Order: sequence, then C-alpha cells, then structure tokens
Amino acid sequence: MEQFVELLSQINSFELIRVISWGLAGAISFYFSIGNARVWTSISIGFFLIFLGQAYAINPWVHYYKLSAFHNIVGTVAIVVITHGFLEYYVFCRTFEISGKKVTVYLFSLLILAAGGIFLYINPTPSPNTIRNFKIVENAIWVFLSIMNLELIRKIYVTIKDSPISKGFIAFGIVFFLIFLWKGSELYLQIFQWDRDWQDIIAVMTDEVSDIDNFAGRVQISTLVDKYAGFLSSLSVGGTFIYIYRLLK
Amino acid sequence: MFLLPKGSPLFENLAVGVLKLPEVMSKLGTGSFTGYASFVFQASTIILVFEAGKLVSALHEGKDGARQTGFEALSTLSYHMAGTNGGVLNVYKLSKDLTMCIHALLQGEILYKAQELKLIDIKALLERIGSERMNGCLRIYTDERSAMIFYKDGTPLGFFHDGSQDIETSSTESQKIAGLPGAKIDLFSTQGVEHLMSLDLLEVVNIQNIWEAAVAHQQAETNKINSVREEREKKNIADKLAKLEEQVKTIVIGSVGKVGRGIVDKELTEQGGNSCLLDETNVVKFLAAIERSAKLLISTTSLKVLMEQLAKTITAAKSEL
Repeated sequence: MEQFVELLSQINSFELIRVISWGLAGAISFYFSIGNARVWTSISIGFFLIFLGQAYAINPWVHYYKLSAFHNIVGTVAIVVITHGFLEYYVFCRTFEISGKKVTVYLFSLLILAAGGIFLYINPTPSPNTIRNFKIVENAIWVFLSIMNLELIRKIYVTIKDSPISKGFIAFGIVFFLIFLWKGSELYLQIFQWDRDWQDIIAVMTDEVSDIDNFAGRVQISTLVDKYAGFLSSLSVGGTFIYIYRLLK
Repeated sequence: MFLLPKGSPLFENLAVGVLKLPEVMSKLGTGSFTGYASFVFQASTIILVFEAGKLVSALHEGKDGARQTGFEALSTLSYHMAGTNGGVLNVYKLSKDLTMCIHALLQGEILYKAQELKLIDIKALLERIGSERMNGCLRIYTDERSAMIFYKDGTPLGFFHDGSQDIETSSTESQKIAGLPGAKIDLFSTQGVEHLMSLDLLEVVNIQNIWEAAVAHQQAETNKINSVREEREKKNIADKLAKLEEQVKTIVIGSVGKVGRGIVDKELTEQGGNSCLLDETNVVKFLAAIERSAKLLISTTSLKVLMEQLAKTITAAKSEL
C-alpha cells in the first residue's frame, strides 16, 4: 500500500487525468453493454482493457518484466475487440442483423488474454529489448486498426447520419484520429530507434551509437505529438462517452 | 307485368328462395292440380298453367314486356328460383274451363298491349271482336286488380276476376275495374281451346335437369362472386396492411432516422411480410426486434416513446382490419 501511495505521488497530474479519462470511458461503455446488443459489449470490453492498459502507469508491480509485456498484450487485445465492435456496428447498419452472444466476446477476450499470459509464463523473462518489441507490435496493430476504425466510423456515420447517435460517431472519429497520431508517432520513433526505450537500452547494454541527434526536430515533434495526442485522446474518449451517454440516456 | 285474376288461392306469397322447382312441379303434378301458379320476381313474372296435374302452359314475361314460353320459360324460372333471394309463389285453383281459357290466353297473339282504356274506342273494339268472330280475351286491369272477358267466335263466354274460381256471367267487376283511373286493356287473339289441350310440358321437358343446371350455374355464379369478394377483401386488407407498414416506417424513421426504413423492412421480411402485423404473437416478436435495433441508435426515453407509439398504431390499425 505504501508502495502504491508512493507511486501515486510520483505520477504527474497529466498521467492521472489520462487514467481517469480512460477509466470513465471504460465505465460508461460497460454501462452501455448492460442489456444491450453485443456490439456495445465488444466496444465496452475494448475500452475497459485500454483503461487497464493505461492504468499500468499506476501499477505498483510495473517493474516486473512479464507483467509489463502482458500490459502490451492487453492493449493489443483492447484495440482488436473495439474494432470487432465497430465492425459489428457497421454490419448492423448495412444489414440490420444483430447476431451472436455477448458471452462469446467475454470468452474470446479472456481466452486471448489467458493465452498471452501462458505464452509469457512458458517463455523466458523478456528483456527490455523484448518488451520494446512487444510495444512495437502493439503500436503497429493500434495504428493500422485505428485507420480501419476511422473508415468503419465514417461508413457508419454515412449510414446513420440522421440518427440521434450519429454525432457520437463523429466524436469517435476524433478519438481514433488522435489515437492514430498518438500511437503512430510512438511507432515512428520506435521504427527509427529514436524512442526513449531504445536510447536507454543502447546506453546501458551496447556500444551502439544513435543518430537521434541528427534528427532532433523530427524526434521533438514526434515526442510532442505522442505526448499531447495521447493526452487529448484520453480526454476526447472520456468526453465522447459522456456525450454518447447523454445521447442514449 | 302480366296480372291474372287471382282465383281461389291455394298458396300465397310463398318465399321462392326456399323452394325447389322439381318438388313444386311434382307436388302440383301429382295432386292433379288445376289452375295456375305465378312466380313473381322483381323483374319478371312466370305463370305455369296446370290442368288436372298436366303442365299445359308456361309463360315468362319481363318488366320490359319480353316474353318466353315453354322450355325457355321453365328454364328462366329455374335460374330465377336457384338464384333468387326474393320472389314469391302464388298458386290459385281455377275451374277446368277457366284454366283452359287462361292457357289459350297465354298462348295467344297480342293485338293490343297496355293500352290506356280512356284512349280506346271500346265500343268499336267490341264490335270488331264480334264482327271478326274473334276467339280471345280482353283483359282490363290496373296495377292492383284485373278482370278478363273471354270471347269465342266473337261472343263473350263470360267474365273472370279476382276471387273467381270459374267463368262468371256478371260484368259488374269488369266494369268497376274499367272505371278505375289508369285502367288499361290487353287484347289477345287465341286459338281454339281444344287445340291447345293435348300438350303436357312435364313430359317433354326434364325439369330435374333444368333445375340441376340452374343450381350448378347459380353455384358457379355464387363461387365466382365469393371469389371476387374474397379477392377484393384480400386486396382491401393488403392495402390497409401496406398503409400500416408505411405508418410504422414513418414512426420508426421519425425516431431513429432513415435507417429505420431498412430496420422495419428487414424485420417484416423476417416475420414473413407485413401480414405478421395481424397476428398478436408476431407483432410482439416484431416490436421486440425493432426495440433491439433501435436501442443501438436512440436514447432509452425516445425508445420508450417509439415503442408505445408503434404498439398504439398497430393496435388501432388491427381493429380496423
């Protein structure tokens, strides 16, 4: 407990607001999923998992490498499940079919997470470099699924644009655009090895020299985009769910 | 309309709709009936003359004055009886002589038809009947009453009027009718009575066959009418259902947007078309499906209003169907 309080005291308000916003999104989306079709269940589980992923910052066991890697698996599953939810919403808008059971989504999510846990358990403890690889994979999936979600959201909006909930999808569009910038800028830094993790790794473990100083401007812009787009995406997602809650109340 | 004096009534105002022609003929034939039976329909009258159970004459006369006799008259009678919802049968006993006079009259040639009495030089007409030694019948009538004067070789045989069973010698009744406002006359020239006696229509016409053909025809007509009515009712219901479907779509579109049309179309198709709105169980299923879809698009409050509006509209429309 003391450790947790100490950790909280180390977290800046910037991080805290992010975690609270994602928590709000997770809670409201969970509320939508109650008594509703599994479209909202997928989206709800996804946003709740993102919240768990973001809450990593206040995780007292953050220094455990396997847990850190699991955090990346959780983040990946989150965007996959959210995309599944939007895909089902799009299918509903085109065919008006609402099929499948909510329990399938719960089981699928649990199964993937359990499989990820087992994968980490039976393999060697990841090195900082391996954990960075996990992050790259997660970010890559986030970037491409965000683009896919933007397209799905656009199509959903076009189909239901005169419905009360349609403006909520504009808000979702803004959220995923910011997520794209957030994750995309981080991925950009990682791909060119300008990210903080790589700098730490080479500083401690190798004699490798970074070319980061040659691209200081790009790195600075990408870092700023990463920081503020991440923050704004958390704010926008919280705001979006409050807005949709009001629309559907 | 051909109106004969009534004679002595055996039956009056029997509803034709419940009678079967073969049974009527059989009854009058086997009972050695002498007299006439008149079937009065809205558009025509058919008179059958019997002598000792023999059907000696059949006459059909329409309101327009068109006449049929014999087989044609019996056939028309069959069709009228099989198809009628109205019409009455009157049966009057007459003496043999009078019956034969009526028979002769029905087969006679019309010389004057429905002439206003006041426009006729009746004296000259009677002189002509005498001078031409005419066989025939002079009928004097109004809409309610009639009397007849039979002539043989230009000489009056006697008079026949309502309530008579036989030819009478008194001309009082005939004169009374002739004095009534609007009285008209018909003059028929007839052949000799004996000449007409030999025929029995029941022996040459198969009443049973005529009747069965008429019933079959009537049944076919009824089926056709029923079929047309059913089609019309189906179309009527289909029109109302189409109207209800549009109402439902309008309501759903009003709440969830244009996408509502697709939702309604899909759910109606799933339930087997808009006729599902007639069935209580299917309506419940349909409303549940609409609710499930609408839940993804509108607020809980709007959803409640939408569902109430739909249920109310469907219930109201169903009560009219």
